Amino acid sequence: MDDKEPVRLSVDEPPSDGRQPSVIEAPSAFAAWSCTVNGKAVALQLPQARRLLDIIREDLGLTGTKRSCEIGRCGACMVLVDGAPVNSCLMMAYQCAGRTLVTIEGIADEDGLHPVQRAFLEEGGYQCGYCTPGMIVSAKALLDAKPNPSSEELEEALSGNLCRCTGYGGILRAVHRAIEEGRGSP
Amino acid sequence: MLLNRLNSGDRWRVRPDGPGKVTGTLAYLTDMDVPGELYALVLRSPHPHARIVSIHTEAARSLPGVAAVLTRADVPGLNRFGIARQDQPVFCEDRTRYVGDAVAAVAAETLALAGRALDLIEVEYEPLPTVDDPEQALMPDAPLLHPEGNILHAKSYRSGDAEAIFGQCAHVVEETYVTTRQMHAYMETEGGLFVPGPDGGLTVYAPTQHGLMDRLQLSRILAMPEGRIRIVSSPIGGSFGGKDELNVQPYGSLLAMATGRPVKIHNSRRESVRSGLKRHPMTIRMKTGTDESGRILAHRVRIVADTGPYATLGAEVLNFATEHVVSAYRFGCVDVESVSVFTNNGMSGEFRGFGGNQAIFALEGQMDRLAEAVGMDPWEFRRLNMKTADEPGPFGQTIARTDGLAKVWAAAAESALWKERAHPDNSENSDIGAMLSSKHDPRRGGGDLPLWKRTGIGAALVMHGAGLGYGIPDPSGGRLALRKDGKIEASFGFEECGQGLIATLEQMLIERFGFAAEDLRIVIGDSDAVPDSGSSTASRATSMMWKSLCLLQPPFTEKLLTEAANCCGLPVQRLRLGPGGIWDRESGERAIGYPALAERLAEPIVCEASTSYPTPDTDVVGAHYLYSYAAVVVKVEIDGLTGRIRVLRQFHAVAAGPVMNPQGYLGQIEGGSSMALGYALLEDAAMSQGQYIANNFDTYLIPTISDLSGPVEVLAIEDLPDDDAHGPRGVGEIGSVGLAAAIASAVRNAAGIFIHRLPIDPALLQEVIPIGELAVMSDGR
Repeated sequence: MDDKEPVRLSVDEPPSDGRQPSVIEAPSAFAAWSCTVNGKAVALQLPQARRLLDIIREDLGLTGTKRSCEIGRCGACMVLVDGAPVNSCLMMAYQCAGRTLVTIEGIADEDGLHPVQRAFLEEGGYQCGYCTPGMIVSAKALLDAKPNPSSEELEEALSGNLCRCTGYGGILRAVHRAIEEGRGSP
Repeated sequence: MLLNRLNSGDRWRVRPDGPGKVTGTLAYLTDMDVPGELYALVLRSPHPHARIVSIHTEAARSLPGVAAVLTRADVPGLNRFGIARQDQPVFCEDRTRYVGDAVAAVAAETLALAGRALDLIEVEYEPLPTVDDPEQALMPDAPLLHPEGNILHAKSYRSGDAEAIFGQCAHVVEETYVTTRQMHAYMETEGGLFVPGPDGGLTVYAPTQHGLMDRLQLSRILAMPEGRIRIVSSPIGGSFGGKDELNVQPYGSLLAMATGRPVKIHNSRRESVRSGLKRHPMTIRMKTGTDESGRILAHRVRIVADTGPYATLGAEVLNFATEHVVSAYRFGCVDVESVSVFTNNGMSGEFRGFGGNQAIFALEGQMDRLAEAVGMDPWEFRRLNMKTADEPGPFGQTIARTDGLAKVWAAAAESALWKERAHPDNSENSDIGAMLSSKHDPRRGGGDLPLWKRTGIGAALVMHGAGLGYGIPDPSGGRLALRKDGKIEASFGFEECGQGLIATLEQMLIERFGFAAEDLRIVIGDSDAVPDSGSSTASRATSMMWKSLCLLQPPFTEKLLTEAANCCGLPVQRLRLGPGGIWDRESGERAIGYPALAERLAEPIVCEASTSYPTPDTDVVGAHYLYSYAAVVVKVEIDGLTGRIRVLRQFHAVAAGPVMNPQGYLGQIEGGSSMALGYALLEDAAMSQGQYIANNFDTYLIPTISDLSGPVEVLAIEDLPDDDAHGPRGVGEIGSVGLAAAIASAVRNAAGIFIHRLPIDPALLQEVIPIGELAVMSDGR
């Protein structure tokens, strides 16, 4: 963990000379930042514009949250902020200070896997696994909000999570299984 | 068997790598960090084609926190790489040939500093004319991209004089098929960690589909013996062929060796798009003729492939396309000439399907057009012209005999979807059917379907070769051992790209030997720990694991039982392998556990097997011996307002021998076909003047869950002839091939237009569906 590292903002527009995206250094105004992450209180000194994705992966070492498109399109970095799914590549420290964050590492129940994780395992809702943490986070957020989503609601909720391996077949089966099992329990 | 969880019973297993994947605890190689690591970035050419006048790195080098700035002068060994032909510069010398060409690389204490150092490198370029069209590159006055010319590779296959036959044909169809550049779009971009050892060695943690090939290539670049380089290459966050060639490894390795410190590198998506491989854009011109009865008499094909600036596997992809524009049909005469051409566009190379995707789209399009010209049902037309099991392969070579083609054909013919094409479900369209005259096609709107929508059903037939083909060394093998700790260790030089290779190997060990999952330790993806199994490409790994285990089973079993017999004082014949240890057949009890047996051995029991992928007896380079077969039927819905096509339902019949891992097999067909759906409807890594137009997933669209929510049925046809010695055939690629052609066929069925270019342009469909006319009818109702 390196609190001294300047924050990086990725710049999406192609620079005119075709070079690497520029690296912009934000004012290194380190300030106190605190959150609840996976049920634990976390307090750090960091620039207020630091990306949540970098806080999670680099400062907290929680690498289950993946880096892929960095423009909020693929969902590999999806986390829950106060229960709502958020692309952590698009959120800055000050935007989530004081809130409750849950990453894939915090999804599992005390006594093992979350039902959505178990359904993904049993139905084979993953292949390379790189999109899987984000996909499971989005699916959990959906089922927490709507235990019996319609097909349209399911598609809407998961269409921000790209998977290149499965063709979504196993993912759909897994989410449907989690829905079914949710019906069986109180 | 229709593949699903229910039908698979106990054979549907939780993957050993699953728990780590669903909990996020599995560390990918790009998740690794070590204390004291440096961060690396690569400076790439902004110009698709330029002369390098000068490079000045002094300012970058003097920036505090910068550990190294490397250019062409800093490569101790060969400043080139390439799996087949080493023509791609690690660092450009006097010229850049595409926008991903590397000019320099930097390692610094932070990523931000590395970025600033990159900005401080001064490169003076003199832009040269951009050759961005392969046809233009073939013109005599085109700028030469390489001293030997602009042709990477030419391939031809000819049997008879096709041109002379066309005059005798009753029907001749000519069409030019165009396919675009498709991106692999693996979710994990290229990257890894490069750690120099105290002994002057190097450990590379970076994804690849062939660790030992990376080791060979890096040893050339670093001028280091292969034995001092260790490649750890799994797990991988998706590859699909795209990470088989070297990508960031030369830069991470050179920087680690130059600084003596660990170096981390992880491409941004933009960097990945710009530097990485894509599927070859191809223009395929076909002229095919039949007699009055529909028998094909002659087939003439010309392929031009845009291979980009350097070779990688462009020649091999072209060979594959040349073979698969012939595929499984009986042509009286065949005349194929193909050429793969250098341009200043992005790098083309290996991509799941390996040239078969383009070839089958064109070939199946030709079959549909010919069937209509003859006045036959398109599927019957295929049956009339497809080869029987005893006929030779596409290049006239002898191939392993199977009835796969006939069986997938029949399965598609008997599928509910194909029957629906012949007898469209009128309930869906009853409203308009009743309203309009009998000449109206009931598929065209009505019922539950709005007036501006239409549905259609189409199909395609696929034959797909596996293994590297004749003329390319294709060795494999594996190792089984009982180790000191009591684990049965299976070691293969294969990689886990997500396909489920570890799970398939585990399942084969359990089902073939009787081991329990807990008895096993599977070792892959580490060049220091595995035998040479060849690459995890070309749909070959499952076949080669199966073959290796066939070879290993008798000696390994015998050694285990003999040692157990010695330990237990029982005759060998009474013993058998089983879960947890060796069992007594008579008492039905476990005679000795594997750990107890291992403890009593002076040396571990080790068996190795060497084999190689079977090739045909031929002189045609690239010709295959083993093929998988598939038939794909698809139903689409076209929205005439938006021109968008929705895939409603898919049926895949796949004949690839016995199913080793039902979940893996199903996943390969479903996942492969989703790539074909994107190829047909969405994906185009378009370039303008040698620059990528799309750089990320906001503008390069891959299918989402909304595009693929319709049912997908996968029927696995497992039969092989009794005397077949080759076992399971590959399924890694075949799913990615047929669906695009089937969608084009369904669009013809729905909207009456033939598609000759992928992805399908929605504007075409907006034009052909006469919404106005139908709207008037609707008003009059």
